[in-house]
Amino acid sequence: MRKGAPFDLDAVRTHLATEEGARLWRSLEELSDAPEVRRYIEAEFPDIVQAASIDRRTLLRLMSASLALGGLAACNGSEAGKNAPLLSQSRNMPGYTPGVPLTVATSMPLNGYGRGVLVRTQEGRPIKVEGNPLHPASLGATDVFAQAEILSLYDPDRSDTPLQNGAPRSWEELTNFIRPVRNELVVGEGRGLHILMPPTSSPTLHRLMAQARQLFPFAQWHLFSPVDDDNRRIAATAVFGRDLDFVYDLTQADIIVTLGGDLFAEEPGHLRYAADYQTRRRMQDRPLPGLYAVEARLSLVGARADQRIPLRPRDFEDFVQVLAAALGVGSAPSSAPHPSVSKLADELRRAGARSIVVAGREQPARVHALVHAINARLGAFGTTIRAIDPVRPVSADTGTLVDLAEAIESGGVSRLVVLGGNPVYTAPADIDLASLVRRVPLSLHLGQHRDETAVVCQWHIPELHPLESWGDLRAFDGTVGLRQPVAMPLKPGLSQEEFLGLLAGQGPDGRALVQATWHEAWGEGFEERWARSLEGGVIEGSASPLVALTDRFDVAAELEARTNSAGIDVVFAPDPSVWDGSYANNGWLQELPKPLTKLVWGNAALIAPETAAIFGLSSGDAIDLTVEGRAIRAPVWILPGHAPGAVTLTLGYGRQRAGRIGNGIGFDAYAVRPSRQPWIASGEIRKPGERIPLISTQQHHSLQGRDIVRVVAPGQSAVGESPEHSSLYPEWPYEGHAWGMAIDLDACIGCNACVIACQAENNIAVVGPEEVAKGREMHWLRVDRYHAGDPANPGTYFQPVPCMHCEKAPCEVVCPVNATVHSSEGLNDMVYNRCIGTRTCSNNCPYKVRRFNFLDYQGTDYTASPDAMNPQVTVRDRGVMEKCTYCVQRIGAARADARVEDRPLRDGEVTTACQQSCPTQAIVFGDVNDPGSAVSRLKQSPRNYALLGNLNTKPRTTYLARVEPSRENG
Amino acid sequence: MSSEPQAVTSTVAEVPLSRRFGLIWWIALVVSGAFVLLLGYTLVSVTILGVGVWGVNIPFVWGFDLINYAWWIGIANGASLFAAILVLRRHDLRTSVNRFAEGVALFAVICAGIFPIFHLGRPWLFYWTFPYPATFQVWPQFRSTLTWDFWAISTHAIVTSLLWYVGLIPDLATLRDRARSKTAKRLYGVFALGWRGSVRHWAYHQRAYRLVAILVLPLILIMQSTVAFEFAVTLVPDWHETRQPLHFVATGLAQGLSIVLLVAVLLRWGLRLGHYIDEEDVDLLGKLVLASALVSGYLYLDEIASALLAGGLAQDATFKRITGDYAGLYWTAIVYSILIPQLFWLKAARQSTIAGIFVGVSIGTGIWFDRYSIIVGGLQTDYLPSISRTYSPTLPETGLFLGTVGLFAALLLLFVRFLPVVSMFEIRHDEHEENSS
Repeated sequence: MRKGAPFDLDAVRTHLATEEGARLWRSLEELSDAPEVRRYIEAEFPDIVQAASIDRRTLLRLMSASLALGGLAACNGSEAGKNAPLLSQSRNMPGYTPGVPLTVATSMPLNGYGRGVLVRTQEGRPIKVEGNPLHPASLGATDVFAQAEILSLYDPDRSDTPLQNGAPRSWEELTNFIRPVRNELVVGEGRGLHILMPPTSSPTLHRLMAQARQLFPFAQWHLFSPVDDDNRRIAATAVFGRDLDFVYDLTQADIIVTLGGDLFAEEPGHLRYAADYQTRRRMQDRPLPGLYAVEARLSLVGARADQRIPLRPRDFEDFVQVLAAALGVGSAPSSAPHPSVSKLADELRRAGARSIVVAGREQPARVHALVHAINARLGAFGTTIRAIDPVRPVSADTGTLVDLAEAIESGGVSRLVVLGGNPVYTAPADIDLASLVRRVPLSLHLGQHRDETAVVCQWHIPELHPLESWGDLRAFDGTVGLRQPVAMPLKPGLSQEEFLGLLAGQGPDGRALVQATWHEAWGEGFEERWARSLEGGVIEGSASPLVALTDRFDVAAELEARTNSAGIDVVFAPDPSVWDGSYANNGWLQELPKPLTKLVWGNAALIAPETAAIFGLSSGDAIDLTVEGRAIRAPVWILPGHAPGAVTLTLGYGRQRAGRIGNGIGFDAYAVRPSRQPWIASGEIRKPGERIPLISTQQHHSLQGRDIVRVVAPGQSAVGESPEHSSLYPEWPYEGHAWGMAIDLDACIGCNACVIACQAENNIAVVGPEEVAKGREMHWLRVDRYHAGDPANPGTYFQPVPCMHCEKAPCEVVCPVNATVHSSEGLNDMVYNRCIGTRTCSNNCPYKVRRFNFLDYQGTDYTASPDAMNPQVTVRDRGVMEKCTYCVQRIGAARADARVEDRPLRDGEVTTACQQSCPTQAIVFGDVNDPGSAVSRLKQSPRNYALLGNLNTKPRTTYLARVEPSRENG
Repeated sequence: MSSEPQAVTSTVAEVPLSRRFGLIWWIALVVSGAFVLLLGYTLVSVTILGVGVWGVNIPFVWGFDLINYAWWIGIANGASLFAAILVLRRHDLRTSVNRFAEGVALFAVICAGIFPIFHLGRPWLFYWTFPYPATFQVWPQFRSTLTWDFWAISTHAIVTSLLWYVGLIPDLATLRDRARSKTAKRLYGVFALGWRGSVRHWAYHQRAYRLVAILVLPLILIMQSTVAFEFAVTLVPDWHETRQPLHFVATGLAQGLSIVLLVAVLLRWGLRLGHYIDEEDVDLLGKLVLASALVSGYLYLDEIASALLAGGLAQDATFKRITGDYAGLYWTAIVYSILIPQLFWLKAARQSTIAGIFVGVSIGTGIWFDRYSIIVGGLQTDYLPSISRTYSPTLPETGLFLGTVGLFAALLLLFVRFLPVVSMFEIRHDEHEENSS
């Protein structure tokens, strides 16, 4: 053996990670071309270097060496290359134990804004997303999109190789092609170069964009997102003379008025707002806040509101104008005021600075301007509303999608780079981006999928998933969260940062790019701050500072007034399941019942019961909807509480190139979306007399007079006098823990985060549209939605229903083989391998929370990648019953931890997946034997009641009644 | 064998012993055999793919599987109860129809037994309901109605086959003695258990036959009640009623009688056994059928009365079943199992072959719809209104049902081909008594 050659593992790693190094290597030969690797092999296996021919033994050694190297490249390696996950618990890293999950803090983008998340990884595989409690947009909660990113990461349809006109090309070929193009552009200072990307909050992207602008001064940038905030920007610029974002503090508000939109679902700070609203409701020393929702379609905030005012979209301007006039701002229009306005104005005047008026992004700029004026008059700025610099700044010379279309028309675009997003699909109907892009001499698309945009661009470059790449994102309040890879790239690709880095001549090392940004900002003490920020997931103190406002509020009149045309109002909205269509290929989200319609695997044109009566429509009837001469055929769904004279279309469906899951599901609302009025247009509807089947998981929405969801006045008790039930079977004494759950119906906003969290945690199968249509969805936790009162403006109630873990579980006594039994801690356990599938237990479950594997749901097109599975939870076979376990694996893990540390389990140590994801902490889990536990305290509440308690099943899961002062419908 | 009147024996014995059996029999066997193949196909597909090939879902976890199970059990129970009563009462009718009744009961049990096994999510593990000393020391759940059902159906199968077999022994011996081929002689000989027709044999045989028949009596009540318990002990609002066992026993009896009638009429017509199953017999059967239909009708009224008394969700559930989406099932059951049998108030109808077939099929159909209405219609109303789905059978489910009908027919066809369908020794006994008197 030759002496002296040092074991230079780092060099090997560096080689593996540098630009020239192949990311995926097939053989040792490929690697051994590099001198570092050769040196390593010489040191470790001198025979190989010396041997002229390879014998069997050598071959085996070679193989083992290659395996070892593969392992080195794949795991840990915090000092290694740019794609190695830098684990947030780096200080504890030496103690990494195989089999023990590791949690990494990162940020997840939605519409360019960041939400902080903690990603649980198992042996390098991300398996579950949780909220980051340190992050202001999360506070430990997640939304459905963040939860579902795990499935998107493992999406088998993600593109893995560059394509030139549809033909696969190697990365080398791509590089060889691009290099001269870039050089040419550098020489031409970017003439003819147009870059289209979605708006972003990322400081690194903005830095790189600025650098690219310097390098290519004549290049034109265009920002486009189908879920844009243009009206807000116009209004803010008109009123305040500059673009601003507004951050609302709901904990300080006594009266909240929302005008359209959905504060709890569609705003960048929606999780925080839902949490804050609930915090405010829980404040014992102050009266309950008033929440008023003026809206065209029923939204989550409308469902939660104390008073909902369904309003036709075209009437909003007048409504707000009257409201403003009543508060002393501007003059009222001549039209008759809405009956609710004066009461609303009184309430707002009374609350004064402790009020918030907020308009949805779909509202015209005039409404936003009036809202600013109202808020200023009430004195809300500075108390409940903070104005900050825009989190997603748009520089003045940035173009729009329309500008790009015009530039292509005029032949001014010779190089087009589409950086992320899927604009060909999401572009408004009057911009035929597909044929426009085809006209550009050279077009290049960076995207995760070979989607609608990818196929019309000449080059398609695979984009890395946010969980695989470096970056940074600002939250709704400006707080920066770092984005770090939590997995080695499953498929080779570039991130937007890396692509821009290459364009700007900074190299494609994502980590270096992000570090450079913050090195610039921090200077001294970078290393320490960087490590801390990575570990926490949040850069401390990075929230945007308050901006002093200069008032110039009387500008609403200057903004273009809405021109009312005949016909029905058509409102566009992001979809609660697939957002703008980017989640269309995600089975978890496709199968997630939408909060209010409970529709799955498709979208519908939402209309009011009154509209349905006028047109003679019932849910599932097709309509031909014509907007500005373009028509689509869509099924209607009658949504109680929808404003009459309007139809809501959710975006994101009808995709042709989403992938194996999302293709051809639903109808494409973009096909009628006008670019001039992208949110509220007017159209005509016609009834072709056809039916389009829709799949809904809950057909009935009446409570049928039963006390399933209970509503109490503040301080009232939810249970009346009820006779004590006796049981044939003796009570079982629980000496240790006795697990129980309390679900606060006053807090639940129906956001579905718990449903997806449960699905991700417990490996719940996606069964596909045909099976859901048959009533075989597998969700262990469902959110029942009920309406009460007048269908024109009903009360809406959500009730999450997991397994009740009944003390006297009816399912247990009817199982012939003892496959479902009670544990010593009171869990109703399901023994999968004992189950023979008689399904009797489901018959005898009055809550119908048991789910049966009617077919082999683990071997279908919808089945998630095995890598996405939680190894702590059994994957169920065909023919086996399953149901909520109270996340028994988490109880077991916490118990093991406590035993290792030789201490009792602490309250709050075990959180169920649903509980952890809930933005409003509506779900509380714990030991009911411990009188001091949070769950025990909740169960002591007079609002606590058992669902179907009269059946004497003694459920461990109980509900806390919703609190309503005295509901009035406007 | 004794030298009693040979004519009867030879006529009846000719049938199983003849080499040719006519074209119609072959056609019937081929047709029913095709359905047996269908049965095999549907069973294999459900075993390989899972019960998802059926229309079942949550909350309709049971569909055709339990409907047909309950239906076949009804046939089996009615038929064996009828046979047992005849044996015990030494009724004249027993000589002619007892053997069919026993055969019908046995084949119906076989058809019924298919469902509880193959409706399982994992049918290959069905034996876990059996309390065998497994190494993992898990026993069946004795509080479960499904465990009771396991015992009920296995007991039922054993007792019914005993009744049938014990009755057959002397005739098997006759067939052995008259068999033309050596193989047939051997085969019949094995199953005749060395019967030589000694007085001692006869004495033991009579005792055993009547003993088994007595066993049948409580068993029938238990079996039907157990099926009913599968519904009655659950919390499902429409099912959770103490009257459920009574309903199942009574309607099951009507159904069993109607099937016996049907088979008797068909045999009388098809095998020209008019002399042995005479008009009196058919008339008596018709009266029994009518009486049982009236009892069923009374129980339907009782159902409504009970619902009104129960009030609340149980009342809603019953009325939803009668008036809701699945109301057609309920009313079809009423028409077919209660109203149409009223035809038998007419003596001409009771004795008519066509009317016999019509009423027999009608009651069988009616009870089938009744089971459908209970199992599917009863699940419409649940405690939480959010759980609202519909159930409709799929092709594999329908195929499975038709397959069991085919199996039943094929077994009957083989039975009439290879075994004496009318009890030879009983007829000889009767005629002997007539001659001596």
